[in-house]
Amino acid sequence: MSAIQSDPRQRGVERLEGPVLAPSKGRRRGVTVQGRYIPYVLILPAVITLIGVMGYPLVRVILLAFQNVNSYLRLAVPGLDRWIGFQGFSRVLSDAQFWHVVWRTFLFTFEVVAISIALGLAMALVLNRVSPWAKIFVSTVLMFVWAIPALVTGTVFRWLFAGIGGVIDYIFYLFGGSGMKNHDWFANANEGLYVVVAAAVVWGALPFLVLGLNAAMTQVPKELVEAARVDGANPVQSFRHVVLPIIRPFLLLCTSLSFIWDFQVFTQIWALRQNSPEPGYWTVGIYLYEEGFTSSHYSTSSVISIAMIVLMLAVLVAYIRQVVKIGGQG
Amino acid sequence: MAGFTPARAMPDRLPAAQPSRSRGRGRGRRPGESRAMTGVWNAVAVVFGVVMAFPIYWMILTTVKSNGDLLAQNPTFWPTHFDFSSYKTIFDDPDFLGNMRNTAIITIGSVLAGLAVGFLAAIAVARFRFRGRNPFIVAILIVQMVPLLSIAIPLYIVLNKAGLYDQFLGVILAYLVFTIPYVVWTLRSFIVNIPVELDEAAMVDGCTRWGAFFRIILPLSLPGLVTTGVYAWIQAWNEFVLANTLLSSNNKRTSMVWLSFYSSSPTHGADYGSQMAGALLVSLPVIVLFVIFQRKVASGLTAGAVKG
Repeated sequence: MSAIQSDPRQRGVERLEGPVLAPSKGRRRGVTVQGRYIPYVLILPAVITLIGVMGYPLVRVILLAFQNVNSYLRLAVPGLDRWIGFQGFSRVLSDAQFWHVVWRTFLFTFEVVAISIALGLAMALVLNRVSPWAKIFVSTVLMFVWAIPALVTGTVFRWLFAGIGGVIDYIFYLFGGSGMKNHDWFANANEGLYVVVAAAVVWGALPFLVLGLNAAMTQVPKELVEAARVDGANPVQSFRHVVLPIIRPFLLLCTSLSFIWDFQVFTQIWALRQNSPEPGYWTVGIYLYEEGFTSSHYSTSSVISIAMIVLMLAVLVAYIRQVVKIGGQG
Repeated sequence: MAGFTPARAMPDRLPAAQPSRSRGRGRGRRPGESRAMTGVWNAVAVVFGVVMAFPIYWMILTTVKSNGDLLAQNPTFWPTHFDFSSYKTIFDDPDFLGNMRNTAIITIGSVLAGLAVGFLAAIAVARFRFRGRNPFIVAILIVQMVPLLSIAIPLYIVLNKAGLYDQFLGVILAYLVFTIPYVVWTLRSFIVNIPVELDEAAMVDGCTRWGAFFRIILPLSLPGLVTTGVYAWIQAWNEFVLANTLLSSNNKRTSMVWLSFYSSSPTHGADYGSQMAGALLVSLPVIVLFVIFQRKVASGLTAGAVKG
């Protein structure tokens, strides 16, 4: 390395503390050991920043949830704030709309996760069987899809599914659905959410899933698949008993990741409904945003935020544990 | 995140698709696999690819259609003639270029700050075993997974109080909430792969430990810095909710917020030609970056360094 000049005087070299060098216990105990402070100095900027932009706001969310800051005035004049205990929670939890929103979000999430994982798995398998040119073609397309911002996805899908001039209606019409011409996909919120929004989200999620799962499948040794085939396993059996066990960690990882992403869906709905989604399109994310920013109900919105995190908690914890496990091996 | 961080946060360990390697595999076709079945699978893959490509094709097609084509009773799959007036409409919009510049400022700011802060923390995590290391790693992962939406309101309140509401700096700081964890987590695996012998050799040769960080680890993790920087760039460029929440003036918005306002304005709400032109233009910087860097693999560098 030319960057380092050799120093003939050979200064006393301190030993690196690190997992690789297995420092002896005795050396590490003393506070005065040279360099012990270094890792703390290194993480300090990150810790300070993250406390500022994540830690403190999270604390504020919790505090707000127990206050009555439900108007801009109360925010501007902190003297008017009052602590109201769990009143905010009981108000939100006894609100029928909240439960409708939660139910809708779960339904939407399960639908989108199931479709995108199933499609992603299927196409990842197909990509293992195709000729090289077909694989290059599909990977290239997926790469471009991956790059499209979610807001643009929403905008494009609004145009694809537009009632007037929309191409999806026209394609249905071409294939015989004469009644589909000028069909308004958004009039019925259920149709708009579970068909159009779901299509947009699945479309955006597939590149990651297909390419990732396909890459995971290339880790499966050819010999194993071959051996299974020789032993008389049909394709389904060899998938279930050979491929699946090997890709399972990654499959679990991206299933929980998909759940986490889809549960907080916001941008696509926002773009598809031109910045003002009707209540029938409200998922938890949209609901807390409408409460917090459109209505300035900061405390109510904070309660919803907490509810949202709690509802995702099981999956979040499972995901983080899985990542720590995989990362620990590396 | 599919619903939220538009770049759908790429996991660090996702191996890049490698069509070049699969070429060799295709030749050694297994005996049981018939040519006909490969044909069927090819057909399935092509149909899938075409369906996936269609929205992008339609977006681009719409931008070059004339008004006559756009208002036609039946949409056409190829324009009768190419008409670029949609782009003119976009560039005539007084806010478009300025807002694009805002996005660039905010993105560059948050990427550089995220890389600087994240690089240091990544060294600590990759090179040292210290008390609090594991809690720090878990905290990083937790921060990464907390829904941004849930802290949008307190962030707005905090920045408002600090006088950073409707300021680029406020948004840059807010974006560090997702760039730092990403950078730490991804760079960590890059740095772990740099042999610690290189640090030692440098220090034997008289380099201080901090010197080793900046003279050995920094240059060797450059490929990692580039890759993470690109990903962080994409996330910041595509981010919508925080930008929408933390900026309010017309001339301070980012491109994504601009697009959302543009396409819901009364004048352009039904003008899909210019909406698609705007949509394409605001995603172009990300598409270009994605295409250039996706396959960049940074292997062999450390091996060469040890030998040298």
